[in-house]
Order: sequence, then C-alpha cells, then structure tokens
Amino acid sequence: MQRLANLSAARTDAGPTAIEVAGLSHVYDGREGKVPALEDIAMTVGAGRFVVIVGPSGCGKTSLLMMLAGLRRPSEGAILCNGRPIPSPDPERVGVVFQEASLFPWLSAQDNVEFPLALRHAPRAERRRRATDMLDLVGLQGFGGRYPHELSGGMKQRVAIARGLVQDPPVLLMDEPFAALDEQTRMTMGHELLRIWSQTLKTVVFITHSLTEAVYLADEVLVMSARPGRIIDRIAIALPRPRTYDMMATDTFGRLRDRIWQQIRTAD
Amino acid sequence: MRRPRPVTVRRLLIVAVLVLWEAVPQTGLIPELLLPSLSSTLRALIADWDKYGEALLVTLYEVSLAMLVACGAGILVGALVGGLKPLRDLLLPVFSSLYAVPIVILYPIFTAWLGIGSEAKIAFAGVYGFFPVMLSTAAGIRTIDPQLLLAARAMGATVPQQIGRVVIPASIPTVLTGLRLGGALTIIGVVVSEMLTSTAGIGYLVTRYRTILDSAHVFAAVFMILVLSILFDTFARYIERRTMVWQTAGRRERTDTADRRLTTAPAPV
Ligand SMILES: Nc1ncnc2c1ncn2[C@@H]1O[C@H](COP(=O)(O)OP(=O)(O)O)[C@@H](O)[C@H]1O
Ligand SMILES: [Mg+2]
Repeated sequence: MQRLANLSAARTDAGPTAIEVAGLSHVYDGREGKVPALEDIAMTVGAGRFVVIVGPSGCGKTSLLMMLAGLRRPSEGAILCNGRPIPSPDPERVGVVFQEASLFPWLSAQDNVEFPLALRHAPRAERRRRATDMLDLVGLQGFGGRYPHELSGGMKQRVAIARGLVQDPPVLLMDEPFAALDEQTRMTMGHELLRIWSQTLKTVVFITHSLTEAVYLADEVLVMSARPGRIIDRIAIALPRPRTYDMMATDTFGRLRDRIWQQIRTAD
Repeated sequence: MRRPRPVTVRRLLIVAVLVLWEAVPQTGLIPELLLPSLSSTLRALIADWDKYGEALLVTLYEVSLAMLVACGAGILVGALVGGLKPLRDLLLPVFSSLYAVPIVILYPIFTAWLGIGSEAKIAFAGVYGFFPVMLSTAAGIRTIDPQLLLAARAMGATVPQQIGRVVIPASIPTVLTGLRLGGALTIIGVVVSEMLTSTAGIGYLVTRYRTILDSAHVFAAVFMILVLSILFDTFARYIERRTMVWQTAGRRERTDTADRRLTTAPAPV
C-alpha cells in the first residue's frame, strides 16, 4: 500500500502514464524449489508509447507480461495500469496477444473476435459491428467467416490482434506475437502493427527475441538480464516515424541494434 | 491407367463378398450347414420376421439404455477424473488397467445380482461401454491446450465460462471418439450377454438356432447384428465428421503468401 501511494505521488513526468511498475519481484514455488524469476523491476510506460522488452529466454518476460495483464500476482511490488491496480484480467483495460495463435479453432474469425464481448453478454448487433470493425482494422475484411485452420499464420495473428483490441483497451500487451511466423511475414506484420498502433493510439508493450524487430517497432527498448530478470538497460529509439524498411540499412539502426546485443550478451 | 478411388474399391469389395456369399454355398464347395447362402439367410429372416423384429426391439431397448448409462457415467466420471488432478492420480491407473480386463467374466455376477432379464444386460453392457467413454473424456479434458484457457482468462472469462466456452467445445472431438467406441462396445456387450444367459433379443436367437443347428436362422441373426453395428458406426462417424471439421483440417497449414498480398506495406530492401 505504501508503495502504491509512492507510485501515484511519483507520477510527475510529462505525459499521462499508462503503466507503472515499482519494486516488482517474483519467485516461483516450483517442483524443484524456489525459482526467482523477476527481481526489482521498475518501469514506466507513457500513454501511447510503444515499448519493447527483449531479454534471453527464460528471463521472465512472459511472467512480467502476465502480471501486467492481471493473470498472475507478483510475489512483491506494485503495478498500476492507468493509475489503478489490476488484480485480475480486465479486457476493457488491457488486451493481450499471445505468441501462438491462441484462437479457438472451433470458432470462426468473427466469433473469435466477438468472444470477449460474448463473455460480457453484449447485444448481438453490437458484437457483430465491433468485431467487423476490428477485422477491417487489421486488414481482414471479408475473412470473418473463415476458421483458424483456413487462415495463414500471419492472418491468425491479425485475428488475435483484433480480438485483443475489440473492447478498445488503452493498453495492448503482446508476447512474442510474431515469433512463429517466417521472416518476411514477420516484417510485414510488424509494419502492419505500427499502422494499427498509429491509427488507434494504444499503449503497446511488446516482447520479442528479434533485435531488428525491437528497434524497428519501439519508442523505447527495455533490456532484461538472464534469470532472475532485471531491467539492465533502457534504450530510447529516436528513429523518426513512420518507420520504413529503408531505416534498417542506416547506421543509426545498426548502432542501436548493436547496443542491445552487447547488453544482452554481457548480461548472459 | 487411373487408380480407382478408395470408395469405389470398398464398394466393389462389399459386392464381391455378397456375391461369394451367395455363390460359394450354391456350388456346394462349403456345405450349407457351415455357411448358408445369402439368399437362404434372407429367406429365413423374412419367413420369421415377427420373431426377429421382436428380438430386435428388445436388443435396441437394451442397447439404448446401456448407451445412456455408459455415456452418462462415462462423461461424468471422465470429466471429474480429467479435470481434478488428485482424482486423476488416484483413479486413472486403476481404470486404465480395468479396461484391459475381459469384463465378460463378470457377467455371471451381474445375473446373480439382477436376474437374467434386461437389467443385467443393460448394466453389463453399460459397464462395458463405460471405459472408452470415460477414458477418452478424461484424455480430452486433460489435453486441452493451456494456451486457450490462458487466453480465455485474459479476456475475463469466469470459471464457468471457461468450462462452458473452452473446456467443453475443446474436448468434444475426443469425447465423440470415445462415444463411438463405447457405443460399439455396448452393442457387443448386449449381444454377448444375450447369447450367454437370456430369453430374448437377437443374441438369444443366435444361441437358440445354433443349438438346433439351423444355420440359416443363425446367420440371419448375425446379419442383423452386423447391420445394426454398421449403422451405428456410420451414424457416429457422420456426427464426428460434422463436429470435427476444424480438428482434422487443422493439420494443413496455409502458406503465408496471403499475408503479403493483403498488405500494402513497402517491399523489404
Ligand atoms: N508456473 C511456473 N512455475 C515455476 N516456474 C515457472 C513458471 N512459469 C515460468 N517459470 C520459470 O520462470 C522463468 C521465467 O519464465 P518466463 O516468464 O516464461 O520467461 P520468458 O518469457 O522470458 O522466456 C523460467 O525459468 C521458467 O522456467
Ligand atoms: Mg516467454
């Protein structure tokens, strides 16, 4: 509680803050004893920012994201989402997109996107309308009747993004959403995500393994150490927006990517 | 030359079997006592249709109730065993090894408890069909992709909603496979118990005609059981196919070219 009070008092930066994390640590009580997964994480994400988290696998990125989504409670520390704690998942405040297509295979794309609305018993007409709007937004107009197995990997992730956004949450959390896609599709999807982001003004926290993807997408990259995960560097990506593929060939892009790489390497 | 389609081959095989069934006994290669021809089998069936019809009703009645028992109890116990870890650790090994026991040796006990009427047969066949239903229901629930449940939770699904909207639809295909196997075993269970100790049903007719060496009538009864089993299996497979479109088709992944066509993003340099 003390910490929460401190957090609210400390919120004096320029713009409004979407996510604040302070003193967050987590220890798993696993079969092989206690596993310290996260250690003293502090982060602030301004509203409308695109923040990317990178770090070696097993360093606790997914765990952190689950806590931001209210899916898991940290052993210690506080999380504020738009100024309020998030003790349990709330798709109106935080949308989540997972790595593997976590679409329900027995539902059409349209019904998958409607799923969170159906949970809330929203009227059918409203459900239809909002899901259709979202499918349009992610570039899938006319694909609502398709089932997941009739969609490509990239299209499935588009549906997942539409589903994460259907209740118009200010925050979108994405856990390696394009990791299972081939390189070309992955680049395309990153570009599409930036378009969607700029159209919807969401705050995005995005986890990835790909340093290129991190630099290409982010306003800021947070680098985590190996387990127990700590944030060891914050790198502002000052590349202009909108981002273009040509930027990847520039020196600035290369230097930023190298810096992240060095950090991850020394952290390991 | 084009290879014939499997369906065509299958149909031709069935026709061939029927033709041989008629032709071989006619030629006297196999005596009618061992294998009555198709036509004499059908003649026997039609001549005593009232008896066969009556027996069929008894068998159908017993099979329906036994299936109800097997499916109801199987799904219920399977859901509990699959869903609750302590129960699973306790019961699943027991049930799995019981499945391998030839339960037919227990039938005399059933008749001792319930008499030789329909009740014993329903109970026996119900137990017989219970195992595959229960085991596949448990497997279906246990093998649900945890990612789907996580996604549902992230979208704010309550526990009842997780069960109703994720666990149940996700396990339907596996449960249906169990129902098909369990249903088939139920038919076997009823017919076998009718053959062992009973006074009615198709299985009873098989035994009775066999003791008086009336092969045509035995085969007529066997023929009916065959048709009954095949009809059930065809029906069950049809239902399975209808509900499993997404499961069977899920294996083929599409190429990702559609993504590239979909977007107006500039080409990578
Ligand atoms: N439910 C759990 N119980 C015990 N340990 C876990 C659990 N979930 C994750 N871990 C452990 O915590 C560490 C961080 O996991 P995770 O957050 O998935 O990392 P990342 O997403 O960065 O790869 C890993 O070492 C993992 O084994
Ligand atoms: Mg992870």
